[in-house]
Amino acid sequence: MRRVVLALGGTVAGLVMLLSFRSHMASTASAGVTAGSGGAGTSPGSGSAAGSGSAAGSGSAAGSGSAAGSGNSAASGAAAASAPVGAGSGTGTAVTGDAIATPYGPTQVQVTLNAGKIVKVTVLQHTDDGTNSQMIDGHALPLLDNETLTAQSAKIDAVSGASYTSAGYIKSLQSALDKASA
Amino acid sequence: MSGTRPGEPAGSVGPGDAARAAGVTGISVSNPDLPGPGATSPGGTRIGRPAGRLRHAEHVMGTVFSFDVPASAAPVLPEVLSWLHWVDATFSTYSGGSDVSRFGRGELTLAECAPELAEVIAECAVIKEQSDGYFTAWPGGRFDPSGLVKGWSIERASNMLSAAAKTGAGGAGPSGAGPGDTGASSTGASGTGHSVNGAGDIQCTGEPERGRPWRIGVAHPLHPSRLAVIVAGRDFAVATSGTAERGAHIVNPHTGLPATELASVTVVGPRISMADAYATAAFAMGGAAREWAESIDGYEAFAVAPDGTTWQTSGFAAYTAPA
Repeated sequence: MRRVVLALGGTVAGLVMLLSFRSHMASTASAGVTAGSGGAGTSPGSGSAAGSGSAAGSGSAAGSGSAAGSGNSAASGAAAASAPVGAGSGTGTAVTGDAIATPYGPTQVQVTLNAGKIVKVTVLQHTDDGTNSQMIDGHALPLLDNETLTAQSAKIDAVSGASYTSAGYIKSLQSALDKASA
Repeated sequence: MSGTRPGEPAGSVGPGDAARAAGVTGISVSNPDLPGPGATSPGGTRIGRPAGRLRHAEHVMGTVFSFDVPASAAPVLPEVLSWLHWVDATFSTYSGGSDVSRFGRGELTLAECAPELAEVIAECAVIKEQSDGYFTAWPGGRFDPSGLVKGWSIERASNMLSAAAKTGAGGAGPSGAGPGDTGASSTGASGTGHSVNGAGDIQCTGEPERGRPWRIGVAHPLHPSRLAVIVAGRDFAVATSGTAERGAHIVNPHTGLPATELASVTVVGPRISMADAYATAAFAMGGAAREWAESIDGYEAFAVAPDGTTWQTSGFAAYTAPA
């Protein structure tokens, strides 16, 4: 179970990364600010978030720029996330992250696990105010689903890509792999 | 290439500098038994891994080096990490007191510098010749061998792990072959090979699991969390050059302008020091890189253009695995 939980922490960190990246590309806003401001308290309409802590932990890790902090956050997030939340379809355990405040409004995802693997990513809440946000959602959210599943099912050991800085590493796929040790 | 240091000045302030300073001065190399899951070292985070494997992420050179090693490598890892911090201090172009900076200003002769500097300069010269000047240690006339130093240090770190595995009590060889040749800490199907990933450039040896090659995902430059291709192999290196976090930063040394014809270039081959430098040169070349890469013996290339189209050299398919 611990292994599953750690993998989830890494994956949720990856999701936060995705959200941060989209925001970053679209607006050049600081990804760190985006991730770091995550949490139910700052996100209107997020009161329904169950099994929170998972995304919140990862979010604060991404914002803090501390590798040690991110490890701890993944572990603590796992404790909260280990409570099954609405395994509706019977094909896995669904875990819901906190709503994350983005420059385009709150975004929240639900991850469904089966035997320790992500089988589904559902976006529970995404921005719907303004043309710009709709354009971003329409492009980014389908990618979010596909990319998460691709990285999860690809069974890769490491990721090669353009150089990242120490801060950029925290949002990288390699960072998620290191955390998950999957 | 030009100025392609892993961490640009703006990116290495704050947490990066703190981690670097802590690592240079405070890294613990005296503890042969590295702490277990969740514990931290001054420069990085230790991450536990089941089945006889160990992962470690070390903040150094303004970026992160990720290690995926057999647990039997734990005793030598601190020495490797300490060496990387020494490289950082010696080759930094951001520290005015480094050998590289003092050599660049003419305050030190090459003979007065660490002998590794001459080694790096010699390798730079070889690749500059091979790449028709697209790779240079003197971008814009200023001495900056950073484009080679990262790949070179990844390769050296990997070689240190291999040497220790050969002479170590466990006898875990770098090839990953041969059952029953590992120490007590290696169990079941875990492999005896290792990988060192320095900011996206990777040297792999042996196997991560018995009978399975390394599988390396190449990040898609246009969809940062999607993979463009997966390459697989046992003793090989994978390097990718592309537009980094803050936009184009590889300059074509012949024009002085940022290279924009490609979104990313990945080079695979035996040695990461060469693969990394070739990838940088190829990125600077742009469209002409395809023909050039085809002419480099032992190395293959894969590229993604800004419009999403891709090309690869004729031998690249030998490395691709079904995704």
